[in-house]
Amino acid sequence: MRLGFFLSEAFGSMRRNWVMAMAAVITVFISTAILGAVLVTRDNLNQGATSLKNRVMIEVFIKDEATDEQVTALEQKIQGIPAIKRYEYISKDEALKRFRERFGERIVANLPINPLPASYEIQVKDANDVDAVAQMFFEEPAVDNDPGTHNGVKYAKETVRKMLGTINLIGYGMWVATIIFALAAILLISTTVRLSIFARRREVEIMRLVGATNWFIRWPFVLEGFITGLIGAVLAAAFVWTSNWALANWLETSDINFLDLKVFSMWWQSGAWPLGLLPTLAILGAVLGAVGSLVALRRYLKT
Amino acid sequence: MIVFEDVTKIYDPDVVGLQDFTCHIGKGEFVFLVGASGSGKSTLIKLVLKELVPDSGRILVAGRNLGTLRHSKVPLLRRNIGCVFQDFKLLPNKTIFDNVAYALEVVGDPRRSIRRKVPEILSLVGLSEKTNSYPHEISGGEQQRVSVARAFVNHPPLLLADEPTGNIDPETAVGIMQLLVRINRTGTTVVVATHDRDMVNRMRRRVLQLDGGRLVRDEHRGGYDQVADVEELGA
Repeated sequence: MRLGFFLSEAFGSMRRNWVMAMAAVITVFISTAILGAVLVTRDNLNQGATSLKNRVMIEVFIKDEATDEQVTALEQKIQGIPAIKRYEYISKDEALKRFRERFGERIVANLPINPLPASYEIQVKDANDVDAVAQMFFEEPAVDNDPGTHNGVKYAKETVRKMLGTINLIGYGMWVATIIFALAAILLISTTVRLSIFARRREVEIMRLVGATNWFIRWPFVLEGFITGLIGAVLAAAFVWTSNWALANWLETSDINFLDLKVFSMWWQSGAWPLGLLPTLAILGAVLGAVGSLVALRRYLKT
Repeated sequence: MIVFEDVTKIYDPDVVGLQDFTCHIGKGEFVFLVGASGSGKSTLIKLVLKELVPDSGRILVAGRNLGTLRHSKVPLLRRNIGCVFQDFKLLPNKTIFDNVAYALEVVGDPRRSIRRKVPEILSLVGLSEKTNSYPHEISGGEQQRVSVARAFVNHPPLLLADEPTGNIDPETAVGIMQLLVRINRTGTTVVVATHDRDMVNRMRRRVLQLDGGRLVRDEHRGGYDQVADVEELGA
């Protein structure tokens, strides 16, 4: 392969057809930028959802009359459940201390005894398991249930259910949006490439008449598509990253950042980006451009 | 150089391109193809380039049977055939130099040899001054000379010209024809499809006349049509 010649052909033709080349770059830029924005938003929402899920907690209250054996048995049970991420024992004294910090000295000062029960605070690995894990403690003898109820185990059942429903719905929605915008990007880019090759179909015909092999004709077009896609997608990645960075910065200084919005690394692995934002979009754009050229050329290269 | 044996090409629907066409064109010949529009001249040229495939019959070009020639080998065939067309078929985004050079790039000529051969051939066709112009910046006659230069830069054994003087004025046309004759003298077989009556009558070369896709006359040192001969004899 005569890379030097093909590259100079590709760059030469982009220079001479600069209006078409610009249009193609802008198309790639816009479609990949939209796709990138959707993907970053999806990542951020995932991030936010995870942080919300992590705050879901089960509190298991312990009867004052519970024996040491019963409490030990309870703790061993907690340790034996793999779905639990971590737990903490809150003694009666600790509970009182927390209460005091929260509501002030004066309320507590007049109490003859400490009415607060000891408890375990339990966090599960996956918020979807909250219900199942909580139920495991309903019948434990150490638990401070009123007779006939399970009110010794407290967790935000309804809230968790609604929150999970919403998060899952948003997750599906973002997947659909990703697919739609990815398809839109592919269609837009391939249409632009097809148009630019259609405009030059006579050139292809002449090249064939002079005895150029199909690959000799293809390489400059493929390289041109590759370069166009690369430029457009790199610009798009830079744009998306900068917007994300600016938005995250702004949210950090304001007090509405309850979702823990964060800036995704442009270069390396972060969450859903196995390669980082910039390389993923750049490769996507370049490959789309090159493959688009190949496909569009096919009908002009039939012998 | 070119052998047609009972070649028939019918276009959809039922339009005759070439019908039971048989002829033999030897190495180093200069042949005119004459006939009205639609008589099959362009079909014949396209068949030689394997742009079209015949419905029946056999075509040999330089000893190679086009019927058994693989698709991947078609470019190789075309590199051995120079082509000149009525509409020049120059690459609009390339300079005169690059247009001619492209034919050499295609065959993998090294850069240095390209830099030597292109100016040589451009001076042969009298366009040394226009090397860096683009096709739209020069006249039709000049464009056709570029196209001849491109066709000949590889020194192919065969050169096909489809109405090479169709789009240019008579004086310039003479120049183009002279170029083709010079190329023929180097041993290249030249086949010219044309409407140009004066030219054919003046040059007195072998004439193949087509009518409705059939060969109706094959005359050495012939005129554009037989009437012309009669008139000339009578005069």
